[in-house]
Amino acid sequence: MKLLLIISALLYVASIRRPIFVAALGCSLAYLASRGMGLGRLPLIGPQDTLAFFSGSLGLMGLPFIYSRQTAGIRWFCWGCGALAGLFAALALPFPTINMPLPPILDTYWFELHVALAFFAYGLFGIAALLGVAYLQGGGKAALDLQYRAALVGYSFFSLSMVSGGIWGYYAWGTYWLWTAKELWTSILWIFYSLYLHLRLKGQAWERGFAWLGIVGFLVTLFTYLGVSMLMRSSHSF
Amino acid sequence: MFKKLYTTFCSLNLGLWLMTGVMVTLALGSFSSASSEQGGLNDMPLLFWLQRAPLGYSWWLWLCVACIAVLFVNALICSIDALRRKGRSVAPHLMHAGFLLIVLAHLLSAYGGFKQQMQLPQGDSFGFPDGERVVVERITGQVGPMGMMSGYRADLRLSDGLHAVQPNQPLFHKGYGIYVKDVALSPVPVALFEVHKEPGALTAFIGALIFTVGNLMLLAQRKGR
Repeated sequence: MKLLLIISALLYVASIRRPIFVAALGCSLAYLASRGMGLGRLPLIGPQDTLAFFSGSLGLMGLPFIYSRQTAGIRWFCWGCGALAGLFAALALPFPTINMPLPPILDTYWFELHVALAFFAYGLFGIAALLGVAYLQGGGKAALDLQYRAALVGYSFFSLSMVSGGIWGYYAWGTYWLWTAKELWTSILWIFYSLYLHLRLKGQAWERGFAWLGIVGFLVTLFTYLGVSMLMRSSHSF
Repeated sequence: MFKKLYTTFCSLNLGLWLMTGVMVTLALGSFSSASSEQGGLNDMPLLFWLQRAPLGYSWWLWLCVACIAVLFVNALICSIDALRRKGRSVAPHLMHAGFLLIVLAHLLSAYGGFKQQMQLPQGDSFGFPDGERVVVERITGQVGPMGMMSGYRADLRLSDGLHAVQPNQPLFHKGYGIYVKDVALSPVPVALFEVHKEPGALTAFIGALIFTVGNLMLLAQRKGR
């Protein structure tokens, strides 16, 4: 089964053409589906499953963008999306799989919805960052418009993830909010993209800043996802 | 004077700086021991914690609350100002309204929230503030193949009958939620209970719904642009 993940990582990194990217995504989704069927739930526990899910989310969310006419002129974009997804698939490989049943507190659809939506959002923030790089390299206004769309849809997924997390928290712990490092960084990420979306109202003079913010946003995303789990103690740690 | 104040609070730049302020204070706070699980911040309503915690420990949260308070006014005035002009989409303002309600919800919970934790064996009881007793009639659990609890429940007897409490299925009674957090079956069945009161929960939920409606409207409007 892990072979599918290895193949997907290799194909992603080699995805200089769109069909290779689609094949990589197919392997990635097949791996996640096989894990999910084996576990009887979405594979969302532990670094191996979450990194693989993140990689799959990046590929899935990147798919409409690599087939967009507006990215046709950006030669490296398909490979860029693939390399990013492949990086996280490769990072997942050294970690062992955790095959235990869900602890009772996590055994609810609200938890799965909360985590899956967060990863879809993270994936879109990654795509937005690549489009920011494309704009700064002379990709034109179209790249910036696409970056805005990716970030807006990502922000919507992330907001829904926060809402479903709040509902889950209320039924699981008695509160929709906890003061822990993960919640604080989740709020920082949400406010960051709120700021990003508001900055668009500043007009053309801020376009380069807007592109940079889309890149920095993905770094904040990575810290929220990986940094907090590895560096800080939280109920959300792996 | 009033016009100058209105213009200041209506400013996009002010909003952007305040959002930056909230992010910076939260980021600093995330490295503080106050936000760790031993920091006590999750054990009592926020306003009580802020009154009791030394300033050296809670300064970041005071600054954050101050930024959010001004951001609240900023978002409110910006929405009112935009809605006064014709032809504006209501979607962003529904999102603002949702945000404002969620901030209000936090304020309600920060003031009137309640949390109490207790460990009780089967047959023991605890009381509500009005004197009603809650008796722990039965504690059961299933141990999974790896030796961990795969499920557990407590049957509680209240004045209106017997109720089951399980993970993710609390019992709501008289505005309080009764949660079973953990169970040990030997030597005698014992359960860890928490009683919560979260006065802002409904407001937060309504705020989240309004925000989501605004968000979906915004997505629909931006589609194809």
